[in-house]
Amino acid sequence: MTAAAPPSTGRELLSPPTDGISNLRFSNHSDHLLVSSWDKSVRLYDASANALRGEFMHGGPVLDCCFHDDSSGFSACADHTVRRLVFNYNREDVLGRHDAPVRCVEYSYGTGQVITGSWDKTLKCWDPRGASGQERSLVGTYTQPERVYSLSLVGNRLVVATAGRHVNVYDLRNMSQPEQRRESSLKYQTRCVRCYPNGTGYALSSVEGRVAMEFFDLSEAGQSKKYAFKCHRKSEAGRDIVYPVNAIAFHPIYGTFATGGCDGYVNVWDGNNKKRLYQYTKYPTSIAALSFSRDGRLLAVASSYTYEEGDKDHEPDAIFVRSVNEVEVKPKPKALPNPAT
Amino acid sequence: MLILSRHQTSANSPTSSGGSTGRSDQGNVFQSGLVDVVCFLEGGVGIGGSLTAIAHSWCSSLQEYNLRTDQPLEMETTCGSLLSELQKIWDEVGEVDKIRDKMLFELEQECLDAYRRKVDQANRCRAQLRQAVADAEAQLADICAALGERPAHIKKSSGSLKKELQEIMPQLEDMKKKRNERKGQFAEVLKQINSISTELSGSTEENFNTVVIDESDLSMKRLDDLRNQLLLLQEEKGERLKQVLDQLNVLKALCLVLGMDFKLTVCGVHPTLDDSCCVKSISVDPIKSLSATISRLKDVKLQRMRRLQDLAMTMVELWNLMDTPAEEQLMFQNVTCTIAAAESEITEPNSLSLEFINNAETEVIRLQEMKTSKIKEVLLKKRLVLEEICREAHMVVERQFGTDFSLESIDSGAISPSFLLEQLENQISKVKEEAFSRKEILEKVQKWFAAREEECWLEEYNRDDNRYNAGRGTHLMLKRAEKARVVVNKIPAMVDTLKLKAKAWEKERKIEFLYDGVGLVSMVDQYCELKHLKEQERQRQRDQKKLQGQLLAEQEAIYGSKPSPSKSGNKNARPSTGGAGNKRFSLGGAMLQNTLADKAALASRSLLKNNPVKRQSSHNHSNSGLMAHSSGKKNTSTGPVKHRSSNASNSQHAEPLPLRKALSPLSSLSSNIISCNFQDHNTKSGDFQDTHIVCKTPAATTPTKNVSTHDENRTPKTMPIPVPATPPTVSAAMQTATTPFTPGVRIAGEFEYSFEEKRAGFVLPRSHSKPLQLV
Repeated sequence: MTAAAPPSTGRELLSPPTDGISNLRFSNHSDHLLVSSWDKSVRLYDASANALRGEFMHGGPVLDCCFHDDSSGFSACADHTVRRLVFNYNREDVLGRHDAPVRCVEYSYGTGQVITGSWDKTLKCWDPRGASGQERSLVGTYTQPERVYSLSLVGNRLVVATAGRHVNVYDLRNMSQPEQRRESSLKYQTRCVRCYPNGTGYALSSVEGRVAMEFFDLSEAGQSKKYAFKCHRKSEAGRDIVYPVNAIAFHPIYGTFATGGCDGYVNVWDGNNKKRLYQYTKYPTSIAALSFSRDGRLLAVASSYTYEEGDKDHEPDAIFVRSVNEVEVKPKPKALPNPAT
Repeated sequence: MLILSRHQTSANSPTSSGGSTGRSDQGNVFQSGLVDVVCFLEGGVGIGGSLTAIAHSWCSSLQEYNLRTDQPLEMETTCGSLLSELQKIWDEVGEVDKIRDKMLFELEQECLDAYRRKVDQANRCRAQLRQAVADAEAQLADICAALGERPAHIKKSSGSLKKELQEIMPQLEDMKKKRNERKGQFAEVLKQINSISTELSGSTEENFNTVVIDESDLSMKRLDDLRNQLLLLQEEKGERLKQVLDQLNVLKALCLVLGMDFKLTVCGVHPTLDDSCCVKSISVDPIKSLSATISRLKDVKLQRMRRLQDLAMTMVELWNLMDTPAEEQLMFQNVTCTIAAAESEITEPNSLSLEFINNAETEVIRLQEMKTSKIKEVLLKKRLVLEEICREAHMVVERQFGTDFSLESIDSGAISPSFLLEQLENQISKVKEEAFSRKEILEKVQKWFAAREEECWLEEYNRDDNRYNAGRGTHLMLKRAEKARVVVNKIPAMVDTLKLKAKAWEKERKIEFLYDGVGLVSMVDQYCELKHLKEQERQRQRDQKKLQGQLLAEQEAIYGSKPSPSKSGNKNARPSTGGAGNKRFSLGGAMLQNTLADKAALASRSLLKNNPVKRQSSHNHSNSGLMAHSSGKKNTSTGPVKHRSSNASNSQHAEPLPLRKALSPLSSLSSNIISCNFQDHNTKSGDFQDTHIVCKTPAATTPTKNVSTHDENRTPKTMPIPVPATPPTVSAAMQTATTPFTPGVRIAGEFEYSFEEKRAGFVLPRSHSKPLQLV
């Protein structure tokens, strides 16, 4: 059962990282793509020109990265440091340190702060404008119940997913204590959490091929909307083989989202209508990260083995940038409307 | 008369004076008058003659003068008196004649000179006049010639020159005026011609600003010619203007139809062509570019029209194909109405605009998508049909699929769905045909299976020592056994014919007759071999029994009779097979036997199929396999409870954990595996390895152990509906489930780690946790 046509996986970027890709993100201002990797590097690509624009070497594997503006960004490194990277001058400086590897980093445009989560069971907020030196730039440290695994921001809301299936929802304006303390609806370890672009909730994926759709609204009506669904599974011989769901990426315009799993598939879902919109052809190996470009026309897919089965031979790490067809991401309402005239 | 007399008297005096100057005949001079004086003079001395001539000439000229001026006398008197005075002086002086003559001669000479001068002067004057007249005449002639008119002035010889001149001058003035007028006309016409021709040629700088007029030809004819030329040019201009306007109109219509901005297009061609611009350039260039634009737009229109018509055609086809409701069609009526229209007929605004075409295109794409999805549905249905037929004919479905029938390949565009459909149809007809040809043999096979079933039952029945015990339903069993024996006796013949038929079929078709993927002939052969072995075994047993009997008989002879040990052992070992079990069964047994025969065969077949290797490897094993047929049948009849239990027992090796309770039923097995992976690090390493292997399964390396345990409740492969779990592009509903909050189940002392933590070798620094070396 092999399809004769070449798989339409999108355009593969030249000079990819030489080791596992931990995250990739599109800029909010251009089609630049920031990629962090286990090869201790952060790379900046111009996705539309398929060109490598910059590279920063770190002291350890880089577990996450994000843009500040189009000319600078931040990285979370396994050598416990949080760094600020200035692309134009190829300069980097250490914003501060955690006590353990830093797992994830986010930049809040609202508060102008960098938020990092680490395996030292803390969340730290940084002011990147402060002069270099931890004392000046550190805004606050917030203890978490467990090691932080994933962060996501929308507006002033910050969702922190940790080991032990804890989920804390913060209001960035009052970080002294969580706005909500929750436990994941899924029974297995959290892999990824991403807020809805409309700010009403978040999607959370687990290692057991499931995604939960959650809502911030704690009223009964609000909570009645939440649900979870299975994905990234393979039925074989009457059994499901279940793969971890590593990545979730929301489409910036339609609010639909793509999930990527260790099965190498990227699925696009319509959360409101509870439909799967599209499944892309299989990628060579696990999907480690996903990111839509600012206008949602491009989808960057990191096809990179995520060590779910330990050290073993695997396909080379690759970044694919595919142009997204509208039908692939546009919600399909249940009643077929007349096409726009 | 008075004058003459006076003249006479005046003339008398000099003559008398002259006569009195010493000549003898002087008195005659005074009497005869002037002529006489001259004659006197001539007749006398030479000097005297010349003097008189002078006087005479004077007199005549004076006379002439006097006639006009009426003042002759003074002159005459002056001349004569002067002469006489000179005579007197001479007389007084006593001048000699010689000197007198000389003086007179000098005087005469001087007089002559004066005359000659005057005459010359007059002559010159006359010549000038003549010249002037001639010039004027020539000029007149020139002008007339230039004007192309006959000279109005006919030269009159009469009249003096001055008169002539006076006559000719006004004429000349007239003609000059006329000529100037004409020149003005010419200039005007030429100017117009120039301006029009510059407009036509389109050269912006006015080349021949100065109008050059050919002075030599100012005739009316030429003027008319020029006027004609001007008219022609004006006509041409008009035509051009009309042409431009026409073209503009055409362009406007085109732009309207194509949904383009007319003004923008026109300004692009030539800025003066804009509507707001009153003066339109009508030179060749803009017209050319205009017509080029028009032809280009026409091309575009034609192209778009074709495209639209293509789209409309496909649209109509798709409508027809899918019975699209009329109201949906109505929206694209304006698209389809162009389907047969000629290019000139499409005039509706925006009917060929890009937007319009794009709309139509998106509709077509939508329809096509719908079509493909429908085709896919049909494909799936057809596939089901095909599989059903295959199943009924006990053919292997996979074998029939020469081509790739997956929906993925359709989506990737490798195969066109219609081609696939055709292929599938072909397959179905082929399979039907084959199924028909197999029918006869299959019936025989069916019978054979039924017979084998009976044989098995009979064998079991025969083994039951209590079979003859009186009880409920025993008579039915007896009857059945009787029938079974008859059937079993027929088996060899049945097998022979079956084999023959199958071989004939194979010969005819030149392919092996496969029954659910297993060669029928080999099946029959195996069966025969098996039977033969069984027969041998039975023979051996019989011999043994006989031997035992003999031994027993001998022992009996020695020690007396004893109960048979073998019988009592059998009794204990098989308490329920024939008796109670069959009894309970027996009420509906006959019926069940018939209805379940097929099912049972199926079950046994699936077993056969699933491990044919096993079957062929050892006959003993297959013997037990055959035995299992019946037990398998029972399994199916007892329902899924047993399956579940087997499933449960299967997952037993993964060690029960408190976490498992929370599992959803669907993914119970695999999620168990994962949970094992994360929770059971500290359990036995062997166990961990085991689960680890299972976790790796995506590469389809399912361990054989699992397969064997699963075979029992796995749906046989011949069963249809291998519907791809995830058809791409077709939006599928999520497998959702509401997730109530469940209290987290955490195991103290053990830590979960994410993949990243494991890879980074990150270990929680906790004293009571056992450090894990994962990397």
